[in-house]
Amino acid sequence: MAPLNLTTAIYLLFTYTVGLIFVIAVVLRIYQYAVTPQPIKIMLTPAPLTKSGAFARVLGEVFFFKSLFKSNKATWVFGYLFHISFFLLIFMHFLRHFIYANPLPWWYNIFVGIGIVCGIVMVLSLFLLLMRRVVIERVKFISLFQDYLILILLMLIGLAGLSLNYVLTPAALTVVDNQLDPYMNGLLTFQFTNIPSNPVFLIHYTLVMLLILYIPFSKVMHFVGIFFSPTRNMADNPIEERYYRPNAKDLSI
Amino acid sequence: MAKPKNKYKVPVLDGKISIPKIVPGASAYEHMIEAQKDDMEALGFPFKLQDGWKDKALGVFKEILDHNKAVRDYMDICVRCGACTDKCQFFLGTADPNNMPVQRQELMRKVYRYYFTPSGFFKSLSNAQELTEEVLKEWYTYFWQCSECRRCSLYCPYGIDTAEITMAARQIMDSIGLGQKYTTEVIHKVFKTGNNIGIPPAALRNTLDDLEEEIEEEGGKGVKIPMDVEGAEVLLVPPSADFFAMPHMESLKGYAKVFHKAGISYTVSSYASEAGNFGKFIGSYQNTKEINKRIWDEARRLKVKRVIIGECGHAWRAAYMYSNTMNGPFDFLDSKYKQPTHICDFTLGLVKDGVIKLDPSANDDKVVTFHDSCNVARGSRIGDVVGGQFTIPRELIKAAANKFVELREGTTKESTYCCGAGGGLLTEEVMNVRLAGSMPRMQTVKEAVDNHGVNFYALICAICKTQFTKVFPLYGLDEEMVGGIHQLVSNAIIM
Repeated sequence: MAPLNLTTAIYLLFTYTVGLIFVIAVVLRIYQYAVTPQPIKIMLTPAPLTKSGAFARVLGEVFFFKSLFKSNKATWVFGYLFHISFFLLIFMHFLRHFIYANPLPWWYNIFVGIGIVCGIVMVLSLFLLLMRRVVIERVKFISLFQDYLILILLMLIGLAGLSLNYVLTPAALTVVDNQLDPYMNGLLTFQFTNIPSNPVFLIHYTLVMLLILYIPFSKVMHFVGIFFSPTRNMADNPIEERYYRPNAKDLSI
Repeated sequence: MAKPKNKYKVPVLDGKISIPKIVPGASAYEHMIEAQKDDMEALGFPFKLQDGWKDKALGVFKEILDHNKAVRDYMDICVRCGACTDKCQFFLGTADPNNMPVQRQELMRKVYRYYFTPSGFFKSLSNAQELTEEVLKEWYTYFWQCSECRRCSLYCPYGIDTAEITMAARQIMDSIGLGQKYTTEVIHKVFKTGNNIGIPPAALRNTLDDLEEEIEEEGGKGVKIPMDVEGAEVLLVPPSADFFAMPHMESLKGYAKVFHKAGISYTVSSYASEAGNFGKFIGSYQNTKEINKRIWDEARRLKVKRVIIGECGHAWRAAYMYSNTMNGPFDFLDSKYKQPTHICDFTLGLVKDGVIKLDPSANDDKVVTFHDSCNVARGSRIGDVVGGQFTIPRELIKAAANKFVELREGTTKESTYCCGAGGGLLTEEVMNVRLAGSMPRMQTVKEAVDNHGVNFYALICAICKTQFTKVFPLYGLDEEMVGGIHQLVSNAIIM
């Protein structure tokens, strides 16, 4: 094993710490939502009559933002574009790890091209979401520091990611790519190698780590909370099937 | 006599439901009258803030977070996308930003952040706020300007329900002695006399006798309204307003005629003489359960086969949605029937089976429109199919009247606007809030009157009926337009 440099040592420690905090905090949060009893049925009607119907309703919200579509078309378009491009990018980052080989498959550049398009769409949609918060009076009024923070953090991540393709020379990018693959492998197999030392890459990587660290303590937890939302995930069958939670009785008020 | 109109801020009806420019503090001075000592104590709450109120309040807050998934979840996941900001009738009417659902929630969320999340550490950055008397004042003002209608929840990408948060806030405030007079007084009356109005059994019997006479004079010979009859088939539980208020009483006459013609024995109860459940308005599980329990105790005592609920919005939600959980199971009732059944479902069933006959031409002088009441539309279901709460009342209206028009599209069914007085707001001191809240609905009513000649506004909610009877004249409309669906049935039924 090649000797590790100090930067790598720091980043390894940072990455594992962030990963551990993220997993523990998210699991704890899921557990907390799952065990907290819902005293009575409060689904928003008209609601599906069966549990599977109610689950489909939640999926409709998750995949198509159905309620948001009803309430605000512009927010839906910006929000949908952001979420789609964001998830494609996460997926492609993982996928890249499997297809990055020597020699590169002939379609590797198309793959990267799609990623770049997603990156541009993501940054643009984030910019539009940010503009909403600045321009529309009501939205500006309700916006808090943390709402701007997450938008700006995501935009910086996107811009840094795009910079890897546009600021770096192709040769420099190849150096990063060649180092990144074994580094990522090392994270999983504990066969550590040095992290790419390119500053643009390190900025991108650091910001992503900060994002992951911030997620469990932020509104981004909506990706978990939406599955537990009682107005959406309950079936409309209070008469047909008695809904009873004994521990709800503990409510003294 | 001076017109009462001058006392109030009556919105202008120009047919537009436009989004106002925000005016911070626009309705900050509209307060509820605080609860009285004996009412609070009867409900198990302290009276006025006591020493150590803050710890008590935070204790209750914690208890709610640990026992109420909705509140727990909704405190965390709002992303402040703003989808709800233009959906609340109280914001549209008052322009006060604290009446935007997300901002109303923020009043509670900022306290949640301070005490229950790590971001409380970065107080000013994350908008975390200590619970002070100032904050309580804000809570008392704005959590009592929400009618718990859940229109915002419909449009929220996560289904965040401001009503649940409002109820939680009212729970916390009640538990430290900061109650609202109207709801606590009403609940106390229910415990004392069985109904919201405080009518004792003898007076109730008198009222029913008078009603029987009235029905007889109108040509309904032999129609009875039995009370406390053991062994009747049906226990009918109407909102108590149906016993004495206009136009509510007209619907009670309708129910009586339907039972009479169908030949189904029924009874009202002097003990459970109220379908309404104000315990729900203040978010109190215990009180809601106790109030609901009267109905099912009475069903058991009177040995009825089924329970039918009258025209009342939140009462139907409490009966339909909460009863089985809180007071069930109902194995002592006849399992052939839905327990409980909505009166519209019951009557429409009889019409469809040909047991009773309606002559819609009896209502030919009327052009009818229908207002979906929020607790029926978004909080419950009538009948067996999804959306029955929309189709069944409409079918019944169409069976009883020939001329029916819908209100403006996008403001009916689940998108309906609240009348402006639900959730415990039906009290005189916040008349300006009620008027502001009724504005979006009134724009569409005015439109229906002007364009379609609507002259009958059909409702299935006692609070809606009272509210519209009050605000129609202030807007320059005839209060006689307001009525129940069973008022139409009462006119149309062939005796």
